[in-house]
Amino acid sequence: MMQEKLLEVENLQKIFSTPRGDLHAVDNINFFVREGETLGLVGESGCGKSTTGRMIVRLSPPTSGRILFQGQDVHSLKKKQLKEIRRNIQMVFQDPFSSLNPRMSVSDLIKESFDIHRVFRKEKEREEKVLEIMEVVGLSPRLVNSYPHELDGGRRQRVGIARAIALNPKCIVLDEPVSALDVSVQAQILNLLDRLQEEFQLTYLFIAHDLSVVKHVSDRIAVMYVGKIVELTDYKTIFKEPLHPYSRALISAIPTPNLRKKKERIILEGDVPSPINPGPGCRFFPRCRERIDSICKEKEPEMREVKPGHFVACHREE
Amino acid sequence: MASKASGQSVAVAAPEAKKKKKRSQRAEVWRRFKKSKTALIGFGLLALVLITAIFADQIAPHPYDGMNLMVRRQPPSAEYLMGTDQMGRCVFSRVVYGTRISLVVGFFAVLISAIVGGTIGAISGFYGDRIDNLIMRIIDVILSIPPILLAIAIVSAFGGSLVNVMIAIAIGYTPRFARVVRGSVMTIKEDEFVDAARVLGASDVRIISKHIMPNALAPVIVQGTLFVAMAILQAAGLSFIGLGAQPPTPEWGAMLSTGQNYIRDAWWMSVFPGLAIAVTVLSLNLLGDGLRDALDPRLKT
Amino acid sequence: MGKKLLEIKGLKVHYITDDGTVPAVDGIDMEIEEGESLGLVGETGAGKTTTALGVMNLVPDPPGEIVDGEIIFNGENLREKSREAYRKIRGNKISMIFQDPMTSLNPVYTVFDQLEEVIKLHQKVSSSEALQRAKEMLAKVGIPEERGEEYPHQFSGGMKQRVLIAIALACNPALLIADEPTTALDVTIQAQVLEVMKDLKKQFNMAMILITHDLGVVSEICEKVAIMYAGKIVEFADLESLFTKPSHPYTVGLFNSIPDPEEDVTELTPIKGLIPEPTELPPGCVFHPRCPDVMEVCKGSFPETVELSPTHRVACYKYHEGIGGEPK
Repeated sequence: MMQEKLLEVENLQKIFSTPRGDLHAVDNINFFVREGETLGLVGESGCGKSTTGRMIVRLSPPTSGRILFQGQDVHSLKKKQLKEIRRNIQMVFQDPFSSLNPRMSVSDLIKESFDIHRVFRKEKEREEKVLEIMEVVGLSPRLVNSYPHELDGGRRQRVGIARAIALNPKCIVLDEPVSALDVSVQAQILNLLDRLQEEFQLTYLFIAHDLSVVKHVSDRIAVMYVGKIVELTDYKTIFKEPLHPYSRALISAIPTPNLRKKKERIILEGDVPSPINPGPGCRFFPRCRERIDSICKEKEPEMREVKPGHFVACHREE
Repeated sequence: MASKASGQSVAVAAPEAKKKKKRSQRAEVWRRFKKSKTALIGFGLLALVLITAIFADQIAPHPYDGMNLMVRRQPPSAEYLMGTDQMGRCVFSRVVYGTRISLVVGFFAVLISAIVGGTIGAISGFYGDRIDNLIMRIIDVILSIPPILLAIAIVSAFGGSLVNVMIAIAIGYTPRFARVVRGSVMTIKEDEFVDAARVLGASDVRIISKHIMPNALAPVIVQGTLFVAMAILQAAGLSFIGLGAQPPTPEWGAMLSTGQNYIRDAWWMSVFPGLAIAVTVLSLNLLGDGLRDALDPRLKT
Repeated sequence: MGKKLLEIKGLKVHYITDDGTVPAVDGIDMEIEEGESLGLVGETGAGKTTTALGVMNLVPDPPGEIVDGEIIFNGENLREKSREAYRKIRGNKISMIFQDPMTSLNPVYTVFDQLEEVIKLHQKVSSSEALQRAKEMLAKVGIPEERGEEYPHQFSGGMKQRVLIAIALACNPALLIADEPTTALDVTIQAQVLEVMKDLKKQFNMAMILITHDLGVVSEICEKVAIMYAGKIVEFADLESLFTKPSHPYTVGLFNSIPDPEEDVTELTPIKGLIPEPTELPPGCVFHPRCPDVMEVCKGSFPETVELSPTHRVACYKYHEGIGGEPK
């Protein structure tokens, strides 16, 4: 069953100018998210995954390229349509400590969306709605007047999720929603996100650095490296038959709590290169063990579909 | 921050835990404020000064302008606690009424500059870029003039009166507030909760008023307290050189100025107004320091 | 079996705050042999870092205080040592590296300066010898010699952590305490640093306490594991037993909370409830309000430790004879 494409990203590019040159944070990426699915976006720090998320929710304008939500370009909308889009694309942030205004109570925080979008005008209705949403995300009603500093990380993240779902959005961008949490709490939040997706037919773009978490939640996974998507396929294939050398290294580097299946580890040499003024070749070339010196340094590999639904950008696969 | 889980965080976790028992933020600030003795002394002194100002009519035994030429330059006595001046006016009563004047001048001068400067600073910090550049350069120019010179220039141009002194001082502090507010706005606007509000669709006005300003208030309050002290000193200074309060207004600086002519045989005429200035300014400074420590979450213990 | 290097008996570290006493570390026992590495695993507030600071005698005082217990290092009780004597042990016999490599290096000194400083502090060597040793150490952690002249800000996170390891190992310590050394690093960089640590551990025959919340990292590098929860060690075992037969319900819960990339699980089974507040620990077994196997006896007192095998002990009533039945 092929659902409709809800979100499409076309040739998206974000360049920051810095004193040392142009920083290619996101460099010409393409992907789409189907309605009701979860697309995982993984990569290491500085690969541009969060910048991508921020452009989708319009926190930052792209340098070039388009982001289409139900066919409409989110960055060239009139005010009224914009509010409509805002309602439909929400975001959950990484740090539940800094993403909630410390001077607002839980109830104020959840009500804020109602205020902005002028829904549920009657006070009684609003109160009821707040309690209803709190229940959905698993917050006890006695916390309604608490302030963020009185809550632990897991509960704060639940408040963040409550804010995001308050207006029944279609799509939520989750930017590292569990990486600041302890493992036992992390599992609770992952289960909650899973349940909400089913209950409200949500579409997720799940951004994270932790491949095992991403695999757990995603239908398809895109691997990013220094501003580029290097591989995109479904969650099983990326683990079973990763084609890009970087994907392979990334997967092998995950420390698994499983003594039986200790695998061969690929230790990459060197550091992630700077995205400032990148050279003409493949971004992964300097660390790649399978590089072909003649092409990889000179020419950037294009993204191609090597098998149905399996995209990879590597000269080895051409 | 990544270091959250290390070192002292175990120690920090403890009070944070207890706060769950519904301790409002205000109560938390008060708890921290109480810890410092000097802050409490400042608070106590200021309370005393405030009470004096409010109940001046009840406290002062004589009207501030009641002249009695029979009792000129009397030393302190039971009838005249701080003696009398060259016109036979009760120095104590004048010092008591002077409290009102100094506090009103200091407070309103700072309030005006806080509102004007705060707005300018918020706009400058929030929008950044070219607007910020323009505003900050203008502010740099104003700041390059010593505040007392600026005040003297303004007052001499518009005539000496308390209102003009107030305005002159307010103009001097406006750019200082603008800087303070701009600084905290620039930090706070990078906080994630501002992005979170933006994603919900909040307008700029809403973001500034509901999200940024309430969180930027702490440094403004601290600076405000310290600025009131400085403004009181400045108002007294202007009156001392004859540009501020006109006789018979019982302004401390003006009293000091008259008193200096008689310092050899009537020391009380200048010592008591001087003490009043010192105590008020000291109390505000102690309070300001205490507030800064109490409001700064980084110093949480 | 090697020689015992460090033995901790009944260590209690409390923080005294306005809101009451926090038993951050509440009577723990553990031992490490020479050249052995122990993973100290737990979530935020479990008391892992406090344990490490206790061993280093670096508990911030006030509010913290070591109230009870013995720390026996090489046969000597460290708690009886003077400040001065302790200072000589720290950085020399026992070293520590911290989680955040960004703030642990002084930005105004070059890497060489910082390495030489430690070496000269603890060893009577000339400047040129110290420099020689500094160069060797950098080479050991895989940093080219010429980069020693550079300042910390010129290094990436992973490189900085290598420098910190080099500093920590410069005096050939018998024990290294590493507090979440790779948590702030990216996965591929983490893999590099772990590789360096594994390698050096062998070369120096050094014992190590690795503090982490990541069971995956533990399985890479440790031989023994201690699971901490709310100031107590609830399970202590060799790696093999702990990973194949996790016995304490908390340990089991931890394993079930981690998505295993090798397996295809649709739903995780997290531990219910939340980590208790350190000032309001539940009576009895600290884990009982969250425990799926809770019994009446668990609410009364904290269970004694039971030996399941010579290398596997657990503090849980399930394994007490006559209460929870025979040990499995």
